[in-house]
Amino acid sequence: MSHPVLVVLFFLIQATALFAEEPKVEVFAAAPYDRHIIYQALVFFWVGIIGLIIIITMKLREIKRIQNMGIDKEEKDAPFLD
Amino acid sequence: MNCQRLKGWFEERYDIEALGALVRSKTVPSHRFDAWYFAGGLTLFLFVFQFITGMALALYYVPHAEHAHKSIIDIVTKLNMGWLFRSLHHWGAQLAILVLFIHVFSTLLLKAYRKPRELVWFTGFIMLAISIFFGLSGYFLLWDERAFAAVRVATGGAGNLPLVGWLIKGFLRGGLDVTGETLTRFYAFHVAILPLVTIAITGFHILLVQLHGISVPLSQEKRQGKPEPFFPNIFYRDLIVWLVCLGVVVTLAVVFPPEIGRKADPLAPAPENIKPEWYFLFLFQTLKLFPGEMLGMNGETIAIVIISAAILFFFLIPFFDRRSASGHRSPLFTWIGIFYLVYFTAMTIIGFLT
Amino acid sequence: MKLDYSVVTRRAFLNTLFGGWVLAVTSGILYALIRFIFPTLGKEPDFVVLKKADFEGIPANSVKPFAWGGKLGLYFKKQDGTVQALKGVCTHMDCNISYKPDEKKFYCACHEGWFDENGRNIKGPPPKPLEVFDITTEGDKLIIAKRGVKVELPKA
Repeated sequence: MSHPVLVVLFFLIQATALFAEEPKVEVFAAAPYDRHIIYQALVFFWVGIIGLIIIITMKLREIKRIQNMGIDKEEKDAPFLD
Repeated sequence: MNCQRLKGWFEERYDIEALGALVRSKTVPSHRFDAWYFAGGLTLFLFVFQFITGMALALYYVPHAEHAHKSIIDIVTKLNMGWLFRSLHHWGAQLAILVLFIHVFSTLLLKAYRKPRELVWFTGFIMLAISIFFGLSGYFLLWDERAFAAVRVATGGAGNLPLVGWLIKGFLRGGLDVTGETLTRFYAFHVAILPLVTIAITGFHILLVQLHGISVPLSQEKRQGKPEPFFPNIFYRDLIVWLVCLGVVVTLAVVFPPEIGRKADPLAPAPENIKPEWYFLFLFQTLKLFPGEMLGMNGETIAIVIISAAILFFFLIPFFDRRSASGHRSPLFTWIGIFYLVYFTAMTIIGFLT
Repeated sequence: MKLDYSVVTRRAFLNTLFGGWVLAVTSGILYALIRFIFPTLGKEPDFVVLKKADFEGIPANSVKPFAWGGKLGLYFKKQDGTVQALKGVCTHMDCNISYKPDEKKFYCACHEGWFDENGRNIKGPPPKPLEVFDITTEGDKLIIAKRGVKVELPKA
């Protein structure tokens, strides 16, 4: 007689435990579609950063070239072409 | 867009020529250790990054004990890219403090603190303390179990300082215990008081560096190459370093977004295995070294006195290091610097692993 | 065909490339920032889910308010028992309207605008009728949706 009562009680307690468990907060997109969009955006971002670094290196090489030639200083009283 | 006319408009009102000449005259020394010079600017970049992401988050965060935790959950789950900005702010903070320590230890070991740059060191040390407090106060705003316990321990620890401990503890907590009052206080520190103080002191710190010029280590003084002009050479190299750092922060933020723990309950016991943020670990490992009672006195008080003395020594190092003040090599203080670095790193790692 | 002279100077080429790329990266970052700080400006939900039990039992010729995003929604049971859901926002200047059961009309106090039982604007400044929503039920849920929106509830 007590056996099925215990079983029912057991399930009831399990059910209440489910409510006591905090649902984990989703700190990142759950859907795979959204995840792929985020990783794609990350890739584009890195393309942007690395591209910028490459261009800056190009600029730095040019600056070194000019400085080594000694032509980097602008002459103050150079006349305008017009 | 007519750049020439715009330039002319300014030139008629301000002495742009002189300003340009001043900027172009700045140089940076060249020698074996000049790579370390990037650490200072990188710290500044990361703090500006924190200001921007912080201001964005402050638009939505609710600094009340009842709603704080929920407001962060709302930011992370309901706002466009809210999870990203919170994650960026978290990782930006970690990197900012890491780079700050790199900057501090490199200036220590290269003895940039020596005469005539003592004030640069002192303002820098103050900013280090402020940054640690930035980290603690920011972390607390999450109002989750871990943060709550961490602040209880940190303010409790501050309370053990001899003589002034109780005063500092009461001031930080806004009362006898950590409560909603503490949250209000820490919020005020984190978004208003500390930012303004930081801007003032950082401005002064950078101004002093401009006035003195950048310090050259003693061993390199006679071995310098030709100084590089800051603009455009170093400026663009700084930019590259900052861009790489930005890439690292963004990648960490996307790949490892931080969790949000359970809401804090002031009446609940501290969660298992509670550990403070990594930059506090070395302090807590040190406390663990001392037994409960030593020579008839409270072991923890002794530990705190010793730690305070070590920090005070660190702060006043320009005055203790007489040899480098007079321009001589000072190997003793190099070893002292290495000791501080190794101790800090080792204790942090041990604290992490246990 | 080989050119004798370069079309642009090295300086112009590098500076344009640099400036352009900086502009692209910065605008990408700014876009993210702006989307964050302007979250859901004016955005309304496509549908809301309510508890059927809370609304179906209201007396005839009365309204019960519900949240439509941040705005007012009205669940309206007419005298003859038929139900309707509409946005309780006046089409004149966005004030919240109220229901006058005696006159069986909706009234906006801001500028004395009147709407009839079906939401049509009949008197005063309102230029358009009230927005009417579709009502559907699913189990114990009451779903109020924008006209023409297909509602798909996530599998709980």
